[in-house]
Order: sequence, then C-alpha cells, then structure tokens
Amino acid sequence: MSATPVVRHRLTKLERAEQRLGWALLAPAFLLLVGVVLYPVVELINQSFRFNQLTMPWMGTPFIGFDNYTKALGDPRFWHATLNTLIFIIVTVPGAVIVGLGLALLANKPFTVKWPVRLGLLLPWALPLVFAGLIFRWFFEYNVGLVNAVIKMFGGQPLTWLSDPTLAMIGIFVAIIWKTSSFVALVLLAGLQTIPKSLYEAAEVDGASSWQQFWEITLPMLRPAIVVALIFRTITAIQTFDIPYAMTNGGPGDATETLAMYIHKNTIDFLDIGYGSALAVLMFVVSALVTAVYLRHTQRNPARVAT
Amino acid sequence: MAGIAIQRVVKAYGSTPVIHGIDIAVAEGEFAVLVGPSGCGKSTLLRMIAGLESITDGTIAIGDRVVNDLPPRDRDIAMVFQDYALYPHKTVFENMAFGLRMRKSPEDVVKRKVDAAAEILKIGHLLQRRPSQLSGGQRQRVAMGRAIVRDPKVFLFDEPLSNLDAQLRGEMRVEIKRLHQQIKTTIVYVTHDQVEAMTLADRIAVMKGGYLEQLGTPDDVYSRPASRFVAGFIGSPTMNFVDATIGAAGGTIRLKSGVTLAVPTGRHAELAQLAGRSVVFGIRPEHLSFGARGPDVVGVATKASMVEPLGSDTLVTLSLDGAEMTARFPPEAGVRVGDTVELGISMSRFHLFDPESGHALAVRPKL
Repeated sequence: MSATPVVRHRLTKLERAEQRLGWALLAPAFLLLVGVVLYPVVELINQSFRFNQLTMPWMGTPFIGFDNYTKALGDPRFWHATLNTLIFIIVTVPGAVIVGLGLALLANKPFTVKWPVRLGLLLPWALPLVFAGLIFRWFFEYNVGLVNAVIKMFGGQPLTWLSDPTLAMIGIFVAIIWKTSSFVALVLLAGLQTIPKSLYEAAEVDGASSWQQFWEITLPMLRPAIVVALIFRTITAIQTFDIPYAMTNGGPGDATETLAMYIHKNTIDFLDIGYGSALAVLMFVVSALVTAVYLRHTQRNPARVAT
Repeated sequence: MAGIAIQRVVKAYGSTPVIHGIDIAVAEGEFAVLVGPSGCGKSTLLRMIAGLESITDGTIAIGDRVVNDLPPRDRDIAMVFQDYALYPHKTVFENMAFGLRMRKSPEDVVKRKVDAAAEILKIGHLLQRRPSQLSGGQRQRVAMGRAIVRDPKVFLFDEPLSNLDAQLRGEMRVEIKRLHQQIKTTIVYVTHDQVEAMTLADRIAVMKGGYLEQLGTPDDVYSRPASRFVAGFIGSPTMNFVDATIGAAGGTIRLKSGVTLAVPTGRHAELAQLAGRSVVFGIRPEHLSFGARGPDVVGVATKASMVEPLGSDTLVTLSLDGAEMTARFPPEAGVRVGDTVELGISMSRFHLFDPESGHALAVRPKL
C-alpha cells in the first residue's frame, strides 16, 4: 500500500451507476461464499467451544471454552491419528511427486500413439477416491487379492496385507501414491511443455548428456511447477480420508487412522459434535498455514519464480 | 577450423522429401549464408549440419570427418538459435560456461575463456545477470558468447537476428561481420533476409523448395542470377519481370505490352540464338532511370501509377501499356501519380529467363 493520501473526488453520475452495477454483479458470488464457506467455518468454530453430544440431547449445548481443545491435546488417539497423517504426508507427498515426475516425463515423450499414455495418466485422476480405495483393498486382499496371487506365483508366502499394521500402511501408501501421482503428473506435464525445445538442442550442441540435460535444464526449469504440486499435494494429504477409510477403515485397530478419519468417527459415529468440531478446527488451522505458504509462493514476483 | 562438405544430401520425413540432394562446399574460414523463403529447407539443412536432424541420404563432412552418425556434441560445432536458447535459470556467466563445464574443463580455464569472450562481445558487465534481465541485443550477444567460448570448428547461426528490431538488427549484423573478421571461424548462417545475406556472406546459397537454386558470391547472385526466383528474391524492391519475345537476330526485345526495345549491339550475339523465343524480360528498379540518357539506355513513354518516397530514393510504379515496372528514381525527379514519364531502360543490365523453367537464358558477362 502506498502512503499517498487518497484524494476523494465526487463521483459522476455515470461512475456511481457503474459502482452500483459492480456491487450488484459481485453480490451473488459474495452471498454464495458467505453461505457455503464463511457461515460453516464460523459455525464450526462456535461448535468447537460447546458441549454438543447428540447422544445426550438433554444436556443442551452449553459453552465450555477451550475444554474440547484441552481434551484433544490429552487424547492419545488424537496424537496417534495426527502422527499417522504426518507419516502419510511425509511418504505420499514426495512419493507422488517422484512418480508423477516420471509419468510426466513419459507423457512428454513424442509417442506416435498418444492415447494409452494419456489414458494411463488421466484414469487414476478421474476415478473417485473411494473407488480407488476399494480397488486396492481387493489388490491387497489375503485370499483372492492380486498382490498375494503374484507372490504365490513366484513361490512366496502370501502376506496379511491389510491386517498387519505396517503392511497396511504400506498398502495405503501405494494406493495414495497411485491415485494422486496423476494429478501431480498433469501439473508437471504442463510445466514440462513450457520448456522450449531449443534449450535441449542448445544443451545437446553444448555437449550435455541426457542425464545432464535433466539435471541442468528440466529440473531447475520445472521447480516452480514442482513447488505448486508439492503444496497442493500437501494440502490434500492433510485431509487424507477416503482411501484408508475404504481399504482398512483405520484398522487394524487404529493403526492406519488419520486425523480426518478420527474427526469423522467422533462426529458421525460417536455423534460428539463439539469435540469433532474442535479437532476439525485444529486441522483447518494446519491446512490454512500450508495454504498461506502457497499463497506467499504464488504472490512472489513471477519473473523470479520463472527463473 | 574446418570446411564443410555437403554432398547429395537428402532429407525426407517419412516418404515426403524436403531436401532433394544438395551439394555445397563451404571453405575453411568462409562465411556461407543459406537464404530462401520459409519452408525452403535452409533451417533443416543447418540442423542436419548440427546433428539435430538426421540425414536421410548423402553425407556431411566437417573438416575431413563425415559426421552423419555423430551426435551434436561430438561434431565440434556451436550454434546460435533464433530464440537464443539461453538457460533462463542460469546467469550469463553460467550460460557461457555451460559448454565448457559439460566438457569438464577446469574452472580456471572456464573463467579465462568466458572473460575473453565477454571482452570481445563487450558483455563483461552483464556476467552476473540472468537472461530475463537483458535486452534483446544483449541476449543475442550472450548467445554468440556461448558459441565462441567453445572455440569450435564451425559456427552455425539459425536466423539469429530475426527477433530484433530493425535498428538493432543492423547493428548486430555489423557485429557479426566484425566477429567473423576477428576469429575467422567457418560460419554457416541461415536467414530469410536477403539484405543480411548480401551484407554478411562470402558466398550465398539461395534455396527454394528443398533445391539449391544458386551458390555464388553476393555479386554473382545479384548480377548474374541463375533463375527468375533468385533474381526476384535478391534485391529490394524486387526485379521487374515482363513477358517478352526476342526479335530477329537478337536485335530487339518486344515486350508483351507492345513496346519494342533495341538491344545494344554488344549483346546481339548472345541473344541471336534466342531469336523468336518467348522469354521473361527482367530488369532491376535501380537500372531504370528518370529520362533516357547515357549509352545503351532506351527511352519508353510511361505513366506513373504509384509513388513511394523513401527519402533517399523514390520508388515509382509505372505502367507501359498494361505492363508494370517499379523504378528507383532520385527524389529530385518529383514524379506525381498520373504524370507521363520518360523511362530510361538500361539495356546493358537486363536479364532474360525461360518462361517455363525460370532458368536464366542470357548470362550477362561480368562488368
């Protein structure tokens, strides 16, 4: 903001009419945002400060201050779910970016027949999350699953994929990376296609091998797209729900339970609206922080981002 | 340094040939320009020399080594691209050092060579900037700097000036010429701009539709064009062409419009063998004069239909009974549209072409 004092001048009739029209055109979008974003968020925060258990309607919804939050901080299951979510972020975000980069590089090759690559790229992205979860639940199923069938084919012992805490996590990692890497690949492919071909030709004339071209040109030129993909992927990873829900429902025990699942369990299964809301607010704060990092990144000087 | 031998080189994409067997020998230290309209195959030929396009048939040799199957990095060439192809995330220094570093040159050598090249191109003060912080002309210099630090056998330029504005293009043209005089490396330079070709080249290769139309010095292609295409492509404004018939014994040329021009006796013998033939008569605007004065100049009555003042000259389009010719007059002529003008045609400077094949028929001897 500049410090220059704003000189207010009387608006002409035409300017006033344009201003009114401007407000009128903005109003529907503004009202919609208030209705579907602002109101729910305010209501969520409101509920998080109340006792509200639908199993005990006679208690009413009294204001209890930070009680729900103190309860969360002392709740080992909350911490376990948070830890699981963190592990999912640490493993599946870089995982999806690496696999997505590979897919994008593949899709960027000048294939004569393009549709199989495009389909392979778009299909995981187009599938609903729960559906992807169900597919992988079948893949990792003990008796009839594909993975155990392959293990048996090579003479190995079938593994109890979804009922062993560690193996269940690994199974979910694979499913999440498979499902989300195609989105990353689409973002990175768009980035790859903005790199001029002549840079590679110049590098080739300059004596760079393919590997050197990847390190010296592709990767640095793709950095802005990779950062965007990382941030988007992180925001969705914080909210990881559908795939573990469909594959293990958090099990065995709460071994694969994420924060979003624990929130769901409290509000929908245990009908504890107040506590669930407090947990949701905590998750919202973390998401908002990551989003802020993203906004800071995109608001930087575009010329600097590009170079 | 090395010469380049291009022998019967063919390029085809699938079954579509785009270059039909071209032979060009570029001497060591020579500045060769490939010129022609878009799609003539000049860039493709350059990229084949660079190794960025495969060679369908024939051979290309740099020095005495056939390079057909060598990757670009082993051909000891450097190339300046139309869009400069500077690495945007690297500084000017890193851009220029890239080729040396990829070849594992020691850092002190890299520094010395980059500084020397920067000195030649006067970009020493820009070494720590990024390409996005440079003007078009500066980027162009960096691109050339990146080429010269490598000290290659051959420089390849692919329309390097076409992204610059007219004034800068003129300046950089001079720079490139000076650079060549200084470092004397063999250069193959592609352009669609005939002015660049004429001013820079030791020899010009005029290409059209994948064929070599003419290979010669700038004076050759200007004064003795091998075809109607070359005649029309080189020179601005373009050469005037009028359908005509050669009179008996080659003593006259009768233009389609009905005007008969007397041929100077010196060229009778040359034209005698064409007597009675239909030809295309060609004459450059600068060989038409305001008024008929001087030896071998034939006067014709014409009417001015368009006047384009350029300051130093005035281009006047004149009609002679249906045929049109553009002449370059001094501004003092003061011709206005509708004026009747006595046009002087310098009959020692005309060209004749075959109406079907476009080949030059009478080759004017060197003056």
